[in-house]
Amino acid sequence: MQALTNNLNPTPVTDQLVARCKKGDVRAFRELYDAYSAAMYNICLRMTGHVSDAEDILQEAFIQVYGNIGRLENAGSVTAWIKRIVVNQCLSHLRRKKVYFEEVEQVEMEEEEPLDEDGFTWTVSAVKDAIQALPAGYKTVLNLYLFEEYSHKEIAGMLDISESTVKTQYMRAKEKVRQIVKQRI
Amino acid sequence: MPDNNLEDFIRRNRAGFEEKGPGAHVWKALEKQLKDQQTPKVVSLLKRHWLKAAAVLVLVVNSVMIYQFLQLRKQQQNLGTLAPELQEAKMYYTSQIEEKLQDISKYPPEALGLDSAARKELELRNDTWQMLEKELQQNPGNERIRSAMIRYYQMKLDLLDRILEELRAKQPDIKTLKDHEREI
Repeated sequence: MQALTNNLNPTPVTDQLVARCKKGDVRAFRELYDAYSAAMYNICLRMTGHVSDAEDILQEAFIQVYGNIGRLENAGSVTAWIKRIVVNQCLSHLRRKKVYFEEVEQVEMEEEEPLDEDGFTWTVSAVKDAIQALPAGYKTVLNLYLFEEYSHKEIAGMLDISESTVKTQYMRAKEKVRQIVKQRI
Repeated sequence: MPDNNLEDFIRRNRAGFEEKGPGAHVWKALEKQLKDQQTPKVVSLLKRHWLKAAAVLVLVVNSVMIYQFLQLRKQQQNLGTLAPELQEAKMYYTSQIEEKLQDISKYPPEALGLDSAARKELELRNDTWQMLEKELQQNPGNERIRSAMIRYYQMKLDLLDRILEELRAKQPDIKTLKDHEREI
Protein backbone atom coordinates (compact mmCIF):
# COMPACT_ATOMS: atom_id res chain seq x y z
CA MET A 1 0.00 0.00 0.00
CA GLN A 2 1.37 3.35 -0.97
CA ALA A 3 1.25 6.35 1.31
CA LEU A 4 -0.80 9.23 0.07
CA THR A 5 0.83 12.03 -1.79
CA ASN A 6 0.57 15.24 0.13
CA ASN A 7 -0.09 17.97 -2.40
CA LEU A 8 0.30 20.65 0.30
CA ASN A 9 4.04 20.38 0.73
CA PRO A 10 5.49 23.75 1.63
CA THR A 11 7.33 25.71 -0.99
CA PRO A 12 10.90 24.46 -1.12
CA VAL A 13 13.34 26.99 0.22
CA THR A 14 16.54 27.88 -1.57
CA ASP A 15 20.02 26.74 -0.61
CA GLN A 16 20.91 30.41 -0.13
CA LEU A 17 18.17 30.85 2.43
CA VAL A 18 19.37 27.81 4.34
CA ALA A 19 22.93 29.16 4.17
CA ARG A 20 21.76 32.49 5.67
CA CYS A 21 19.91 30.64 8.42
CA LYS A 22 23.08 28.73 9.20
CA LYS A 23 24.80 32.06 9.86
CA GLY A 24 22.15 32.92 12.44
CA ASP A 25 20.33 35.46 10.24
CA VAL A 26 16.97 35.91 12.01
CA ARG A 27 15.35 37.57 8.98
CA ALA A 28 16.23 34.54 6.89
CA PHE A 29 14.91 32.33 9.62
CA ARG A 30 11.64 34.24 9.51
CA GLU A 31 11.40 33.39 5.79
CA LEU A 32 12.06 29.76 6.60
CA TYR A 33 9.43 29.85 9.31
CA ASP A 34 6.92 31.46 6.95
CA ALA A 35 7.55 28.75 4.38
CA TYR A 36 7.02 25.87 6.79
CA SER A 37 5.03 27.01 9.79
CA ALA A 38 1.55 26.30 8.38
CA ALA A 39 2.36 22.77 7.24
CA MET A 40 4.27 21.97 10.44
CA TYR A 41 1.55 23.46 12.60
CA ASN A 42 -0.95 21.16 10.90
CA ILE A 43 1.20 18.17 11.79
CA CYS A 44 1.26 19.29 15.43
CA LEU A 45 -2.47 19.91 15.44
CA ARG A 46 -3.27 16.52 13.95
CA MET A 47 -0.96 14.74 16.37
CA THR A 48 -2.08 16.52 19.52
CA GLY A 49 -5.62 17.67 18.76
CA HIS A 50 -5.11 20.85 20.79
CA VAL A 51 -4.31 24.32 19.47
CA SER A 52 -2.23 25.44 22.46
CA ASP A 53 -0.21 22.20 22.53
CA ALA A 54 0.32 22.45 18.79
CA GLU A 55 1.60 26.03 19.08
CA ASP A 56 3.95 25.17 21.93
CA ILE A 57 5.36 22.19 20.08
CA LEU A 58 5.77 24.21 16.90
CA GLN A 59 7.66 26.91 18.76
CA GLU A 60 9.93 24.42 20.47
CA ALA A 61 10.55 22.60 17.20
CA PHE A 62 11.59 25.80 15.42
CA ILE A 63 13.93 26.67 18.26
CA GLN A 64 15.58 23.33 17.60
CA VAL A 65 15.64 24.03 13.88
CA TYR A 66 17.36 27.38 14.51
CA GLY A 67 19.86 25.88 16.91
CA ASN A 68 20.75 22.88 14.79
CA ILE A 69 20.46 24.05 11.21
CA GLY A 70 24.23 24.49 11.14
CA ARG A 71 24.51 20.72 11.26
CA LEU A 72 22.23 20.17 8.27
CA GLU A 73 24.60 18.95 5.58
CA ASN A 74 22.26 18.80 2.63
CA ALA A 75 20.13 21.92 2.19
CA GLY A 76 17.97 19.98 -0.26
CA SER A 77 16.65 17.79 2.53
CA VAL A 78 15.58 20.71 4.72
CA THR A 79 11.87 19.91 4.39
CA ALA A 80 12.23 16.31 5.57
CA TRP A 81 14.65 17.44 8.28
CA ILE A 82 12.30 20.08 9.72
CA LYS A 83 9.36 17.72 9.48
CA ARG A 84 11.24 15.05 11.37
CA ILE A 85 12.10 17.51 14.15
CA VAL A 86 8.44 18.50 14.40
CA VAL A 87 7.24 14.89 14.43
CA ASN A 88 9.81 13.97 17.08
CA GLN A 89 8.65 16.88 19.22
CA CYS A 90 5.05 15.69 18.85
CA LEU A 91 6.01 12.14 19.83
CA SER A 92 7.93 13.42 22.86
CA HIS A 93 4.87 15.42 23.84
CA LEU A 94 2.66 12.35 23.55
CA ARG A 95 5.07 10.29 25.63
CA ARG A 96 5.06 12.97 28.29
CA LYS A 97 1.28 12.65 28.23
CA LYS A 98 1.75 8.93 28.94
CA VAL A 99 0.75 7.73 25.51
CA TYR A 100 2.39 4.34 25.05
CA PHE A 101 2.93 2.56 21.80
CA GLU A 102 2.72 -1.15 22.48
CA GLU A 103 2.98 -4.31 20.46
CA VAL A 104 -0.31 -5.87 19.42
CA GLU A 105 -1.06 -9.29 18.07
CA GLN A 106 -1.19 -9.36 14.31
CA VAL A 107 -4.60 -10.30 12.99
CA GLU A 108 -5.83 -10.92 9.51
CA MET A 109 -7.97 -7.99 8.52
CA GLU A 110 -10.88 -8.33 6.21
CA GLU A 111 -10.65 -6.50 2.95
CA GLU A 112 -11.75 -2.93 3.33
CA GLU A 113 -15.21 -2.16 2.06
CA PRO A 114 -15.67 0.82 -0.26
CA LEU A 115 -16.85 3.86 1.64
CA ASP A 116 -19.94 4.28 -0.50
CA GLU A 117 -21.10 0.81 0.58
CA ASP A 118 -22.28 2.50 3.72
CA GLY A 119 -24.96 4.24 1.73
CA PHE A 120 -24.17 7.80 2.73
CA THR A 121 -21.80 10.56 1.72
CA TRP A 122 -18.70 10.96 3.85
CA THR A 123 -17.69 14.47 4.73
CA VAL A 124 -14.30 15.93 5.52
CA SER A 125 -15.42 17.24 8.88
CA ALA A 126 -16.88 13.85 9.84
CA VAL A 127 -13.61 12.09 8.97
CA LYS A 128 -11.56 14.75 10.77
CA ASP A 129 -13.66 14.39 13.89
CA ALA A 130 -13.47 10.62 13.71
CA ILE A 131 -9.68 10.68 13.45
CA GLN A 132 -9.45 13.02 16.42
CA ALA A 133 -11.70 10.68 18.38
CA LEU A 134 -9.36 7.71 17.85
CA PRO A 135 -7.33 6.38 20.76
CA ALA A 136 -3.97 8.19 20.81
CA GLY A 137 -1.96 5.19 19.60
CA TYR A 138 -4.19 4.54 16.59
CA LYS A 139 -4.39 8.21 15.76
CA THR A 140 -0.61 8.57 15.79
CA VAL A 141 -0.05 5.65 13.47
CA LEU A 142 -2.82 6.72 11.12
CA ASN A 143 -1.62 10.33 10.97
CA LEU A 144 2.01 9.40 10.44
CA TYR A 145 1.09 7.09 7.58
CA LEU A 146 -1.82 8.84 5.90
CA PHE A 147 -0.89 12.47 6.32
CA GLU A 148 2.82 12.64 7.03
CA GLU A 149 3.64 9.95 4.49
CA TYR A 150 6.04 7.88 6.53
CA SER A 151 6.29 4.19 5.65
CA HIS A 152 5.19 1.49 8.08
CA LYS A 153 8.85 0.67 8.61
CA GLU A 154 9.75 4.28 9.42
CA ILE A 155 6.83 4.56 11.81
CA ALA A 156 7.86 1.32 13.51
CA GLY A 157 11.31 2.85 14.07
CA MET A 158 9.89 6.09 15.45
CA LEU A 159 7.54 4.37 17.87
CA ASP A 160 9.88 1.52 18.73
CA ILE A 161 7.36 -1.16 17.85
CA SER A 162 7.34 -3.80 15.13
CA GLU A 163 6.32 -3.09 11.58
CA SER A 164 3.55 -5.70 11.85
CA THR A 165 2.15 -3.87 14.87
CA VAL A 166 2.12 -0.64 12.88
CA LYS A 167 0.26 -2.33 10.04
CA THR A 168 -2.27 -3.91 12.40
CA GLN A 169 -2.85 -0.65 14.26
CA TYR A 170 -3.23 1.20 11.01
CA MET A 171 -5.87 -1.23 9.75
CA ARG A 172 -7.71 -1.10 13.06
CA ALA A 173 -7.53 2.69 13.08
CA LYS A 174 -9.11 2.86 9.64
CA GLU A 175 -11.89 0.50 10.67
CA LYS A 176 -12.50 2.54 13.80
CA VAL A 177 -12.75 5.73 11.72
CA ARG A 178 -15.35 4.07 9.56
CA GLN A 179 -17.37 2.99 12.60
CA ILE A 180 -17.22 6.44 14.21
CA VAL A 181 -18.26 8.18 11.01
CA LYS A 182 -21.18 5.78 10.56
CA GLN A 183 -22.35 6.43 14.09
CA ARG A 184 -22.19 10.15 13.71
CA ILE A 185 -23.66 10.75 10.26
CA MET B 1 -16.75 9.04 -8.77
CA PRO B 2 -17.17 7.27 -5.47
CA ASP B 3 -14.21 6.96 -3.09
CA ASN B 4 -13.03 3.38 -2.66
CA ASN B 5 -11.47 3.72 0.74
CA LEU B 6 -10.25 6.14 3.37
CA GLU B 7 -6.96 6.78 1.57
CA ASP B 8 -8.81 7.72 -1.61
CA PHE B 9 -11.19 9.96 0.27
CA ILE B 10 -8.40 11.82 1.98
CA ARG B 11 -6.39 12.13 -1.21
CA ARG B 12 -9.32 13.66 -3.03
CA ASN B 13 -10.13 16.02 -0.18
CA ARG B 14 -6.65 16.71 1.13
CA ALA B 15 -6.95 20.51 1.20
CA GLY B 16 -10.01 20.25 3.41
CA PHE B 17 -7.95 18.58 6.11
CA GLU B 18 -5.57 21.53 6.42
CA GLU B 19 -6.14 24.22 9.02
CA LYS B 20 -4.88 27.79 8.91
CA GLY B 21 -1.33 28.34 10.04
CA PRO B 22 -0.39 29.32 13.60
CA GLY B 23 -1.25 32.75 15.03
CA ALA B 24 1.21 35.65 14.84
CA HIS B 25 1.94 35.33 18.55
CA VAL B 26 3.82 32.07 17.91
CA TRP B 27 6.42 33.85 15.80
CA LYS B 28 6.65 36.69 18.33
CA ALA B 29 7.37 34.25 21.14
CA LEU B 30 9.81 32.38 18.94
CA GLU B 31 11.60 35.57 17.90
CA LYS B 32 12.01 36.56 21.54
CA GLN B 33 13.60 33.22 22.32
CA LEU B 34 15.89 33.54 19.30
CA LYS B 35 17.08 36.96 20.45
CA ASP B 36 17.89 35.52 23.86
CA GLN B 37 19.88 32.82 22.15
CA GLN B 38 21.83 35.36 20.16
CA THR B 39 23.49 36.77 23.28
CA PRO B 40 27.07 35.59 23.09
CA LYS B 41 27.29 32.21 24.70
CA VAL B 42 29.99 33.15 27.22
CA VAL B 43 28.04 36.21 28.38
CA SER B 44 24.83 34.26 28.57
CA LEU B 45 26.49 31.45 30.49
CA LEU B 46 28.08 33.93 32.87
CA LYS B 47 24.71 35.58 33.43
CA ARG B 48 23.12 32.29 34.32
CA HIS B 49 25.98 30.85 36.33
CA TRP B 50 27.76 33.89 37.74
CA LEU B 51 28.06 32.43 41.21
CA LYS B 52 29.54 29.22 39.91
CA ALA B 53 31.92 31.31 37.81
CA ALA B 54 32.88 33.31 40.91
CA ALA B 55 33.54 30.13 42.85
CA VAL B 56 35.69 28.79 40.06
CA LEU B 57 37.56 32.10 40.00
CA VAL B 58 38.24 31.81 43.74
CA LEU B 59 39.60 28.34 43.28
CA VAL B 60 41.75 29.41 40.33
CA VAL B 61 43.10 32.40 42.26
CA ASN B 62 44.00 30.13 45.13
CA SER B 63 45.65 27.62 42.85
CA VAL B 64 47.76 30.37 41.32
CA MET B 65 48.75 31.57 44.78
CA ILE B 66 49.74 28.11 45.89
CA TYR B 67 51.84 27.69 42.76
CA GLN B 68 53.58 30.98 43.45
CA PHE B 69 54.41 29.86 46.97
CA LEU B 70 55.87 26.66 45.80
CA GLN B 71 58.08 28.70 43.49
CA LEU B 72 58.93 31.11 46.30
CA ARG B 73 59.98 28.33 48.63
CA LYS B 74 62.86 27.67 46.30
CA GLN B 75 64.23 31.17 46.68
CA GLN B 76 63.49 32.07 50.27
CA GLN B 77 65.15 35.23 51.44
CA ASN B 78 64.96 36.48 54.95
CA LEU B 79 65.28 40.22 54.63
CA GLY B 80 64.26 41.35 58.07
CA THR B 81 61.11 42.02 60.03
CA LEU B 82 57.58 42.64 58.72
CA ALA B 83 57.50 46.10 57.16
CA PRO B 84 55.12 48.64 58.79
CA GLU B 85 53.51 49.51 55.42
CA LEU B 86 52.50 45.87 54.99
CA GLN B 87 50.97 45.86 58.44
CA GLU B 88 48.98 48.93 57.49
CA ALA B 89 47.82 47.44 54.19
CA LYS B 90 46.91 44.22 55.95
CA MET B 91 44.70 46.04 58.43
CA TYR B 92 43.00 48.03 55.71
CA TYR B 93 42.26 45.04 53.47
CA THR B 94 41.26 42.80 56.36
CA SER B 95 38.65 45.26 57.58
CA GLN B 96 37.32 45.79 54.06
CA ILE B 97 37.09 42.06 53.38
CA GLU B 98 35.44 41.33 56.72
CA GLU B 99 32.86 44.03 55.99
CA LYS B 100 32.04 42.56 52.59
CA LEU B 101 31.80 39.06 54.01
CA GLN B 102 29.44 40.35 56.66
CA ASP B 103 27.26 41.94 53.95
CA ILE B 104 27.25 38.76 51.91
CA SER B 105 26.26 36.73 54.96
CA LYS B 106 23.03 38.74 55.15
CA TYR B 107 21.79 37.07 51.99
CA PRO B 108 20.15 33.67 52.25
CA PRO B 109 22.47 30.78 51.32
CA GLU B 110 20.25 29.87 48.35
CA ALA B 111 20.74 33.36 46.87
CA LEU B 112 24.49 32.88 47.10
CA GLY B 113 24.13 29.42 45.64
CA LEU B 114 27.64 28.23 46.53
CA ASP B 115 28.44 24.89 48.08
CA SER B 116 30.25 24.67 51.40
CA ALA B 117 33.69 24.25 49.81
CA ALA B 118 33.24 27.37 47.70
CA ARG B 119 31.90 29.35 50.69
CA LYS B 120 34.96 28.32 52.68
CA GLU B 121 37.16 29.63 49.90
CA LEU B 122 35.43 32.99 50.19
CA GLU B 123 36.47 33.34 53.83
CA LEU B 124 39.38 35.65 54.55
CA ARG B 125 41.57 33.19 56.38
CA ASN B 126 41.33 30.27 53.98
CA ASP B 127 44.10 27.78 53.24
CA THR B 128 45.85 30.15 50.87
CA TRP B 129 45.89 32.92 53.43
CA GLN B 130 47.25 30.59 56.09
CA MET B 131 50.00 29.43 53.80
CA LEU B 132 50.89 33.04 52.97
CA GLU B 133 50.92 34.00 56.64
CA LYS B 134 53.22 31.13 57.44
CA GLU B 135 55.55 32.09 54.63
CA LEU B 136 55.56 35.71 55.78
CA GLN B 137 56.42 34.72 59.31
CA GLN B 138 59.28 32.59 58.07
CA ASN B 139 60.44 35.18 55.54
CA PRO B 140 59.21 38.57 56.75
CA GLY B 141 61.50 40.52 54.44
CA ASN B 142 60.77 38.68 51.24
CA GLU B 143 59.36 41.23 48.80
CA ARG B 144 57.69 38.67 46.56
CA ILE B 145 55.77 37.13 49.45
CA ARG B 146 54.64 40.58 50.54
CA SER B 147 53.45 41.39 47.02
CA ALA B 148 51.68 38.04 46.84
CA MET B 149 49.86 38.79 50.09
CA ILE B 150 48.75 42.21 48.83
CA ARG B 151 47.62 40.71 45.55
CA TYR B 152 45.70 38.06 47.48
CA TYR B 153 43.86 40.76 49.45
CA GLN B 154 43.14 42.85 46.34
CA MET B 155 41.78 39.95 44.33
CA LYS B 156 39.64 38.73 47.20
CA LEU B 157 38.22 42.21 47.75
CA ASP B 158 37.51 42.62 44.06
CA LEU B 159 35.75 39.25 43.91
CA LEU B 160 33.63 39.97 46.97
CA ASP B 161 32.65 43.35 45.49
CA ARG B 162 31.44 41.66 42.34
CA ILE B 163 29.49 39.05 44.24
CA LEU B 164 27.85 41.75 46.33
CA GLU B 165 26.94 43.77 43.24
CA GLU B 166 25.18 40.76 41.75
CA LEU B 167 23.41 39.94 44.99
CA ARG B 168 22.23 43.54 45.35
CA ALA B 169 20.95 43.51 41.79
CA LYS B 170 19.07 40.28 42.41
CA GLN B 171 17.76 41.03 45.88
CA PRO B 172 17.88 44.80 46.33
CA ASP B 173 15.61 44.74 49.37
CA ILE B 174 18.24 43.23 51.67
CA LYS B 175 20.03 45.93 53.65
CA THR B 176 23.76 45.68 53.84
CA LEU B 177 26.15 47.48 56.16
CA LYS B 178 26.72 50.36 53.75
CA ASP B 179 23.01 50.84 53.15
CA HIS B 180 22.43 51.14 56.88
CA GLU B 181 25.33 53.53 57.22
CA ARG B 182 23.89 55.69 54.45
CA GLU B 183 20.50 55.76 56.13
CA ILE B 184 22.06 56.71 59.46
